Amino acid sequence: MIDPAIEFIDVCKRFRKQEVLRDTTFRVERGRTFAFLGRNAAGKTTAISIMMGLLSRDAGSVRVLGLDPATHPVEVRRRVGYLAEDQTMYGWMLCEEILRFMAPFYPTWDHQLALKYAKDFEVPLATKIKHLSKGQNVRLGLVLALAHRPELVILDDPALGLDPIMRKQFNRDLITHLQGEGRTVFYSSHLLYEVEPVADEVAILDAGKIVRHAETEELRRDVKQIVLHREAASQLASETRILDQRPDGADVAVIVENAETVIQKLAQVGVEHRIVDLNLDEIFEAYVAGKRSSPIAATIRVAGPQPCDA
Amino acid sequence: MLIRVEKGSAVPISSQIAEQIAMHCAAGKLASGDRLPSVRELARELAVNQNTILRVYERLVREGLLEMRQGQGTFIAEDSTGRSLASHRKRLGEEFRQMARQGIALGLTADELHEILSKALEQVQPPVNKQPAKSKTGVSS
Repeated sequence: MIDPAIEFIDVCKRFRKQEVLRDTTFRVERGRTFAFLGRNAAGKTTAISIMMGLLSRDAGSVRVLGLDPATHPVEVRRRVGYLAEDQTMYGWMLCEEILRFMAPFYPTWDHQLALKYAKDFEVPLATKIKHLSKGQNVRLGLVLALAHRPELVILDDPALGLDPIMRKQFNRDLITHLQGEGRTVFYSSHLLYEVEPVADEVAILDAGKIVRHAETEELRRDVKQIVLHREAASQLASETRILDQRPDGADVAVIVENAETVIQKLAQVGVEHRIVDLNLDEIFEAYVAGKRSSPIAATIRVAGPQPCDA
Repeated sequence: MLIRVEKGSAVPISSQIAEQIAMHCAAGKLASGDRLPSVRELARELAVNQNTILRVYERLVREGLLEMRQGQGTFIAEDSTGRSLASHRKRLGEEFRQMARQGIALGLTADELHEILSKALEQVQPPVNKQPAKSKTGVSS
């Protein structure tokens, strides 16, 4: 059986007293585009640094292309293309010079390919790095990350600081040059709507834990908002995991997983309800900032028979 | 073929694309035998995952709207207009249901809802059989 591209099992990492990763477990199959979503400080960059062998882990097991990055960091870095979140390169070098400077670090470096990517991505080769725009800087980083034909590409928030047109172009490059060639892409981001069109699957990291991992479209089908009467909602809450709930007069809008089953059940029992489709931002918000418990039970009296005060 | 993908929408991207292709067929902008862009081309054009485009094409093939010809590409199927109309009618039915629900929530009666619909129809499509010229003069005086 072929190894997955990346595998994390029960990985823990703490910095002094602060626990950054807590039993983080996920698996990225080869050839997939995997979106790694989380708020700032959710632990995304820490997880990536562990993958690249730049940080040690406190517990758990990590495999990248079948290798342990803690014991084989150089081999991992040779086979992985890595675009760091805010990479700083030698500003005084010309773009052309850094391509030649990087080449000897990688046995599989293909200089013709590097020049071709530089041309495709419109990187001005004769310009000094410190004079590049943010967008050109990211694309130069991408050329450096791809020129050794890596099997796996790890992108740490590449769209950060790009304007909408550059982001679309970047996604196009990703689709043509990476997905089109069957490579595995691990794409970390907090811009969900940018990731959605390109990702095969998404994992949501919150406070160091993977709270959901699913195919992008499956997640949309699976998580829905249902508006129903308070009493029915409290009934539902006793048998279903609720990600978020907000009261709305006599009704409550709840966000649930397994929407299809829940809706079927409601229909069987004959509970009146309305289904609302959610976008990825709303689904993400429900997982990382949803109100799990709410004053349903406390306020249920209001919805009951009319009080007989006069 | 002009397709617009709205990011951050509650409608999944694959559905957005499938619906727009179906709409182009229903409107006659795409006719039987027309060749669609390849999965790769459309993915690049829209900046959307190739697997998503492939799934859209496969779904529309299953629905009989498109056909894949080995080694030649993806084409609009025979009788695509009829099929796309049928699927549009289904979707329209759902939208009407949604609107009816909203109306009921607002406390409107069935008669009032019917009235709103007839009024909307009148505005969009003036009645043909009622000799509009005559009745108009009658009303305005």
